[in-house]
Amino acid sequence: MTQSVTQTDRNAGGFNLFRFARSQEGVVVFLLVALMIIVAVFSTASPYFFDVRNGMNIGRAISIIGIASAFTTLLMIAGGLDLSIGAVMNAAGVVAAIVLSETSLGIGGAIAAAVAVGALVGWVNGMFIAKLGINPLIMTIAMQFIVRGLTLGLAASASKVIVDPMFLAIGQSYFHIGPLSIPAPLLWMLLAMLVLWFVLRFTLFGKYVYAVGGKASACRRAGINVNVITIQLYMLSGIGAALAGVVLAAIQGAGIPYGAGSELSVISAVILGGVSLAGGVGLIEGTLIAVLLVGVLKNGMTLMGISSVFQMVAEGLVLVGAVTLDRLKRRL
Amino acid sequence: MQGTPFLEARNIGKRYGGLHAVRDVNLSIYPGEVIGIVGDNGAGKSTFIKMLAGDHQPTSGELLIEGSPVRFAHPRDAKQAQIETIYQDLALCENLSVMDNIFLGHELTRNPVLRLLQRTKMHTESRVLLDDLGIGIPSTHELVVNLSGGQRQATALARVAKAGAKLIILDEPSAALGVRETRALLDLILRFRTQGKSILVISHEMRDVFEITDRIAIFKRGELIAIKRTKETTPDEIVSLIIRGRQ
Repeated sequence: MTQSVTQTDRNAGGFNLFRFARSQEGVVVFLLVALMIIVAVFSTASPYFFDVRNGMNIGRAISIIGIASAFTTLLMIAGGLDLSIGAVMNAAGVVAAIVLSETSLGIGGAIAAAVAVGALVGWVNGMFIAKLGINPLIMTIAMQFIVRGLTLGLAASASKVIVDPMFLAIGQSYFHIGPLSIPAPLLWMLLAMLVLWFVLRFTLFGKYVYAVGGKASACRRAGINVNVITIQLYMLSGIGAALAGVVLAAIQGAGIPYGAGSELSVISAVILGGVSLAGGVGLIEGTLIAVLLVGVLKNGMTLMGISSVFQMVAEGLVLVGAVTLDRLKRRL
Repeated sequence: MQGTPFLEARNIGKRYGGLHAVRDVNLSIYPGEVIGIVGDNGAGKSTFIKMLAGDHQPTSGELLIEGSPVRFAHPRDAKQAQIETIYQDLALCENLSVMDNIFLGHELTRNPVLRLLQRTKMHTESRVLLDDLGIGIPSTHELVVNLSGGQRQATALARVAKAGAKLIILDEPSAALGVRETRALLDLILRFRTQGKSILVISHEMRDVFEITDRIAIFKRGELIAIKRTKETTPDEIVSLIIRGRQ
């Protein structure tokens, strides 16, 4: 009896190409192959592309989107959506700059204040969405306006210059490992992704992220406090945006209160990485490769002299292509 | 039945604005007893059991567990009182595995800070549980989305069996089942009864109701209009009560 059970178990776990293609791991493998093809194409097209230094340039360019994407991936797996990310990024940079110039709290205080702003915005989003059932799209767009307005008011519509060399090092220094010079922002991004990958894969919280995204009512009936998890996830998304904002301010040497938000680039990277807007599926690995893919595409096109106007079009086309394939694979 | 009932509903009611979904229901459920709840659509059956499950809150009356009054503000509270419910839609996360669903809300973890999942242990326990219940699911790693209706039902049943409840509520459990699967379900309910558990089952299947229940509660327009001993009544009488409200 035990023997036969093990036998069926093995058969059920056996490799099935169609089932794999439909799974979230299949999406990651597909993206990885696409990434390798794009790298191969650009390597033959431009002599400057396949180069360690260029690789590090790509790494720095994608790190801001990457940090924010990693955090909001969890929220989106759970079926949430956060459009206040870009506004929080700007707010966090300005708040960090002001704390550095106006107080003696130092770098620690600046980062803590920025993270607190992100957590607070996320908490407000989460409270209204979880407890009152307000549509996440509406709520977080409203927060985007509120935060953007408050940030402009706080900064008196001017950039806040940062001079503290230690703070600037967060965005501008390099870590030397052997022959490699890794830009600090890339390292922060990889660190964030590693931690969140661990959380999603091995912890109870990670399991509940998938469960809430699968069927929130079933979780509630199973005794899980869905509201608390939802609020925590919006807070995490806000904290991720704030951390990205801190790194961005360190790269730019200033907290800049205006400028288009990057929330749509963040959300499209997460979706490209295989997270469904309906929730329940997705992996951090997918977000990482999607962020890399977009970064490589932009960098390669720049090296080939393709105008930034067409680059935007290409980014949109890639997203449309990805979600189209996602729909089609369900018919396998 | 004598002694203290496991659960007693006293004048339980639920209003939605001007609509009385359930009105003044009095019902006691004893250990080792199976009660069938029958009635037409919209008779208040589902609303009634959702109040016992903590999913809805009553607007009047009170609930007593083993003689002491309780208030369920969340399904969690009902679970703590050892009441487990299988809903009509089964309340499964289809994107998760059979094991994940069996342990949903009761996951085994180690390290109180990180709360790391003990996957291997949960898979092993799920396998043992499914084999013990005689439930045919090939792998506990399988995602629920890939399961048949009967296998999904089995997963929901395994979750309830695992929780070790004293009262099990089933909302139309055989609606999506084939003949053989229905048989297995009825046997399982009878087995739960011999373990001293109380069972409350909503069903439209008269034959099933007469086979497994001790008493039958008939709901009509939000009211509990009659409770009959199964041995002392007939399907005709029950159907007549459901339709006309009297014999």
